[in-house]
Amino acid sequence: MDALFHDFKQAHYIRNGPLLADTLSPIALPRDPNRLRVFHSQSDDYSIASDVKYQVLHYDKSIDITKAEANAWVDIYIAYWKSLGPILDAENVPLEADWSKIYDRWKDVANSLIKGYSSGNFPSWTVPCLYVVGRHLRIFAIKADESARVASGGVQMKTGGFQDDIASDIGKNEKLEDAARVINRIFTLCISDRASLEESRKWALYYTTNLLFKTYFKLNSISLSKNILRALSASRTDMPVLEAFPKSHIVTFKYYVGVIFFLEEDYKQAEESLTEAYKLCHAYSHKNRELILTYLIPTRLLTTRLLPSVSLLRPYPRLLTLFMPLVRAIRLGSLHDFDAALSAGEPEFVKRRIYLTLERGRDICLRNLLRKVCLHQGWKDDGQMRKVSVSEFVAAVGYSERGGRPLGNGEYLDRDEVECQLANMIYKDLMKGYISREHSVVVLSKKGAFPGTGI
Amino acid sequence: MSLHGAFTAVPARQVFARPQPSSPLPSISQTTKAVDTSQTEKPRREWPEPVRQYVQRAFAQENHLPDVSRQEMETKLKEIIAESASSNTLHETDWANLLLPQQVIQAGRAASAIPKPMPTNAHWGNAFPSVSAQETNASANGVISKKRKSSEWENSQQAQPPWRNTNDRNVLEDRISYPDKRQRNDSPGKGTSKSQYHLDSRKKRFEDSKSRDALPVQPASAKADTVMEDGPVVGQCQDLEKKYFRLTAAPNALLVRPLHVLEKTLEFLKKKWRKDGNYSYICDQFKSLRQDLTVQHIKNEFTVNVYEIHARIALEKGDLGEYNQCQTQLRALYSQNLGGHPTEFKAYRILYFIHTCNRTDMNDMLADLTAAEKKDVAVKHALDARSALALGNFHKFFQLYLGTPNMGAYLMDMFVGRERLAALSNICLSYKMDVKLRFITEELGFESDDESARFICEHSGQAFLEERDDGVRLLTGKASNYFEPAKQAAFRRVDIKGQI
Repeated sequence: MDALFHDFKQAHYIRNGPLLADTLSPIALPRDPNRLRVFHSQSDDYSIASDVKYQVLHYDKSIDITKAEANAWVDIYIAYWKSLGPILDAENVPLEADWSKIYDRWKDVANSLIKGYSSGNFPSWTVPCLYVVGRHLRIFAIKADESARVASGGVQMKTGGFQDDIASDIGKNEKLEDAARVINRIFTLCISDRASLEESRKWALYYTTNLLFKTYFKLNSISLSKNILRALSASRTDMPVLEAFPKSHIVTFKYYVGVIFFLEEDYKQAEESLTEAYKLCHAYSHKNRELILTYLIPTRLLTTRLLPSVSLLRPYPRLLTLFMPLVRAIRLGSLHDFDAALSAGEPEFVKRRIYLTLERGRDICLRNLLRKVCLHQGWKDDGQMRKVSVSEFVAAVGYSERGGRPLGNGEYLDRDEVECQLANMIYKDLMKGYISREHSVVVLSKKGAFPGTGI
Repeated sequence: MSLHGAFTAVPARQVFARPQPSSPLPSISQTTKAVDTSQTEKPRREWPEPVRQYVQRAFAQENHLPDVSRQEMETKLKEIIAESASSNTLHETDWANLLLPQQVIQAGRAASAIPKPMPTNAHWGNAFPSVSAQETNASANGVISKKRKSSEWENSQQAQPPWRNTNDRNVLEDRISYPDKRQRNDSPGKGTSKSQYHLDSRKKRFEDSKSRDALPVQPASAKADTVMEDGPVVGQCQDLEKKYFRLTAAPNALLVRPLHVLEKTLEFLKKKWRKDGNYSYICDQFKSLRQDLTVQHIKNEFTVNVYEIHARIALEKGDLGEYNQCQTQLRALYSQNLGGHPTEFKAYRILYFIHTCNRTDMNDMLADLTAAEKKDVAVKHALDARSALALGNFHKFFQLYLGTPNMGAYLMDMFVGRERLAALSNICLSYKMDVKLRFITEELGFESDDESARFICEHSGQAFLEERDDGVRLLTGKASNYFEPAKQAAFRRVDIKGQI
């Protein structure tokens, strides 16, 4: 108990947020591995209130906090002490951990902290407490939901109430949804702070936002993130500039914003945010760079039609296996290899939500193939109008789709389908020219028939 | 009190204060014109003074009853006067002492709370449209040959256990009238609005369920009063049909049908659907069927069957809201491996996500599919359609559209229009000079040149069609960007009802 409150007072003397946040950590600190146990064992349900009161209010009056502030801290530490019971039990016997109880107790800690802030008791340097409490609230919620799922053996069927149907909203993520609401309150707490910037909780905004994004992504309700972004952009004018925030907050924020745009198929904005995140990201944050690239590569494939080089991917073996087969197929213009690579990587692509974007890379692959057909005819960029027979393209597409294998029994070339794909190339501006059905030829533009490829 | 009366008399008088001899009963005809046109077709006439006073009394504030709405009262009032007029008793009736319409309604409600001793079959004829009307409806639907009907589906897929077949039709028919006694005996006039009718029947139901408890005919009524709050109900109701009401209190076992009755109900409803095709009736009955299953916690193959059939019927009738409700339930039921046709409905889900352009859900859907499911005909078809659209391969997409398995065509119809616009846009931009209309017909999956020409004209592209010696041509060179705005508009509005 002494050690914990020693830090509490020390943090207040030097206004050190992270040190204060450490006193609310549910995980023992490496420098003091026994602190939680000692703290918990030094009191009991009956005397904890008076113990904490004594420590905060009476023991040492030298620190500069108001009575209201001290009382708010008393409530928080009482809730914190109560949460330690089940947490330490879980540490002792991990298999019998009652995560749901831990979550509920930890939520009490979060709520009393929120209460302290909303009644205006705490100065802004204490916001790291919100980080540590919010972060663990999310972790405990996920564990509680996991164990609930295991206990119910999969789907939960709600049977109470008056609903007409068997399965109502399947409460798979009950606690995490609840946690999202609590974290959202923290967000509101920060964004609605009207104090001057030096003393504002707005400095906690991006950390909290990131925590919310993470939660919404996990809950598969990514659309909710849009509300947060809207709230942020609405109060942009009276917020510190983005660059003034810690880089770690900004990188994560930009990453999530980029992914949200990516999922909305707004690739231009996605590219912008992801590129910023990539540039800001610490060179040794290997994991984060890998995550950013996972979305930046498919994005750039569509926006700039650029493929990643091997040297870019080499430090990330996972990305190398993920993207290289596709990249190789696109370079070669091999539709067969592309289809094979896409379907081989499908489970992984779908999991990362990049499948539907990568799939469109087939257009680039096809473009490269058609370009090869033209080059094969001895093209030079001499400003002449070019005509290529549709049959040439049909033959090439068929050959490429079969991976060079001759036409098998019962197989046939679907001329109309290839023609449709050619029309698509023109429509998407990957190829300049037009199709003449009358003469069954593609008439290609004199200059830049395949924009951005040199011919 | 007198002050009160003097004040409230004003609004009623106001209406009559403008004497318009040419217009009979202005207040009634004005307020209910929209609902009832039969009144206005009748010859105009002067109403006798006692009738006018009666009307005035009916509208007077002090005679207003809280549980009778103004609209209901007006309808009843009109009924009373019309009845009297048609029987030529306008001058004989003692209007001064006649019950006011609101009082008649109240009395009617009280009377209907006591069930009639003998149900009559006559009620059937009124409750549902005549068979002939349904038949013409069904034959009109039958024209679309590429789509399967939900009723066909049941015939071919659900083998009926022998004991179901042995059910004598007469036995079923005998039972079907029971719910009638729960209907209002002052059955709503033509003028009553539908929602008002539902409100009434709802109200009615609560009165009624209480009175049913008290009936000596029903066994174990005392027991039923102590239905446990949480546990599953054990149904005791033997009726085959039951109108749907949303529960607002713990279910009453006397009104819930047990599984073996519900099984017969399903068979009965299937026959009824094939015969009459009355969707609003079927939907209502299925909802009550689902409710009975839920309150009894019945989760088995039968449950799956019920939801599947309801989903197919809703799909056929384009009732996306109900369809989505069933889909949500089916998804949960399939995850418990209770049988049914999971791949058929997964294919529908994929097609639905194409319709709503929901990439996030589509991605989750792809993540959920197993390798075996992806090989299933219906699922593969839906996936192929999805990827064809993703790559703009409209040729392949419309080929797939023409060969849609099960009832997927009903879903595809919802977005085929916008995809045709997309393809048309595409063709106009990439083909120069012109193409034969026949080409459009074939590429865009139309059934005839007429149909494709009509589609182009519907999007005011008639100027780009030109008749030549060898047939009609579409002048794509001139129409380059013409269909692009229409295409973009079509993709913008995707309405989502009861999203899964």
